[in-house]
Amino acid sequence: MRDVAIIGCGMTKFGRLDGKDLMDLLAEASLRAIDDAGAGERDFDSVYVGNMMAGELAHQTAIASALVDRINLIPAGAERVENGPASGASAVKNGFLAVASGASDLVLVAGGEKMTAVDTDIIGDLVSTMTHPTAEYVHGVTLPAMAALLTRLYMERYGVTERHLAMVAVKNHANALKNPYAHLQRECTIEGAMSSIMIADPLRLYYACPISDGAAAVILCSLEKAKEFTDKPVRIAGFGHASDVQTLQEREDPAVLKSVQLASQQAFKMAKLEPKDIGVVETHDAFEILEIVQSEDAGFFEKGKGHLAVEKGVTALDGRLPINPSGGLKAKGHPVGATGVAQIVELVWQLRGEAGERQVKNPKRGFACNFGGFGNNTVIHILERAW
Amino acid sequence: MEQKFTGFKCKSCGKVMYPKHDRCLDCKGTEFEEVELGKEATLLTYTKLYALPEGIEMPPLVLGIVKFPGGARAMGQLTTDDPKIGMKLRPVWGKLRKMKDREIFGFKFEPVK
Repeated sequence: MRDVAIIGCGMTKFGRLDGKDLMDLLAEASLRAIDDAGAGERDFDSVYVGNMMAGELAHQTAIASALVDRINLIPAGAERVENGPASGASAVKNGFLAVASGASDLVLVAGGEKMTAVDTDIIGDLVSTMTHPTAEYVHGVTLPAMAALLTRLYMERYGVTERHLAMVAVKNHANALKNPYAHLQRECTIEGAMSSIMIADPLRLYYACPISDGAAAVILCSLEKAKEFTDKPVRIAGFGHASDVQTLQEREDPAVLKSVQLASQQAFKMAKLEPKDIGVVETHDAFEILEIVQSEDAGFFEKGKGHLAVEKGVTALDGRLPINPSGGLKAKGHPVGATGVAQIVELVWQLRGEAGERQVKNPKRGFACNFGGFGNNTVIHILERAW
Repeated sequence: MEQKFTGFKCKSCGKVMYPKHDRCLDCKGTEFEEVELGKEATLLTYTKLYALPEGIEMPPLVLGIVKFPGGARAMGQLTTDDPKIGMKLRPVWGKLRKMKDREIFGFKFEPVK
């Protein structure tokens, strides 16, 4: 396999983006990434577009074909990649494999979702269709309900309190305030979070991500050719991808995200690295409990101790292991198909030292965790500086 | 007619699963017999849902994961607003929700008095 580098990246602002449809967003992010790579004159071999619900939300299918037409990447082979909310990371993985195998030399990976075009109820229902049709969905199980069931298990077993969830939210809001691309640009206090409305006891509104529009994109080529484009190529050092049983109750232990454990182990093995080698992390905190659980199951903290790391400031922007400097899904926003790509974009900016006010101090390697369900499908990437 | 809450027992290794899989989660066996999971189960975790899905009339919708004596677990609606982890519940047949004007029936869990 060839070494693969990220040579350019870009994204749209995340948020309620009235007046811009899905194709506008995908085109904007893609063109920014192409510009960033200085690849405007080049011919692309492949295009992968991460997207979960274009058919349902935008009434548009075959969106990869539409994107190459819109921004003229013709005749690149183009396809949409769907893996629930990990569609973005799955698209990156496919792009990585295309370059690593030697099948493609220059690849665009984009991810996007236009979620505010329909009512909140409809989004909630569409996202709930990820659950098991007969054992979960018909009973009224939603993603916030699953997160609440997991949170209560964690509270019972490990002494996590509501205050810990609020602390994660406060941290991620503070980071987002330093990120011009983030959806929620407002400070959040412990008291404010803890007095927000209850959506799924013990989860309040502020322990969950908002509904956002947005897109993100990266350009990949072989590390060998990367120097033609940039002085600061970022190497994809490893990836991992694993699944688990669909229903929460049927997991070996419902408080363990086994797919996160397995995918992380795969990624570390491939990269020949260990958790201590990582300097910056982006997690899939669609619900704040998930940042805590993922940080443990990925191997950064002992099981049941992730909330203590939050308490001690370890995961803050100036801590030993900053988690979600971008603001995370919680405050940067979670346009589902864009999320996995946007996590990679943030890590590239962090590794290049281009993250502005939210710059983590001199990270050499970054780690991203993207969920394609509720912990039953996880895609991990490890990136490192290659200069 | 009495409805029984059933799962699927692998004929090769004996693992009991709910819901059904076409291949056993342990041994990949493909033949199963339907077995009753039990008349009573223990509550492992729960939530009271206030952001309701379609076809549920009154908040909160109380959902929980229960564990049957044989080890199989199930997710379902609880008929009590005052759930306690560790409480004993029994499966009862009833209306779950309305979906596109169709009434959906299934098992819920009711406290054992």
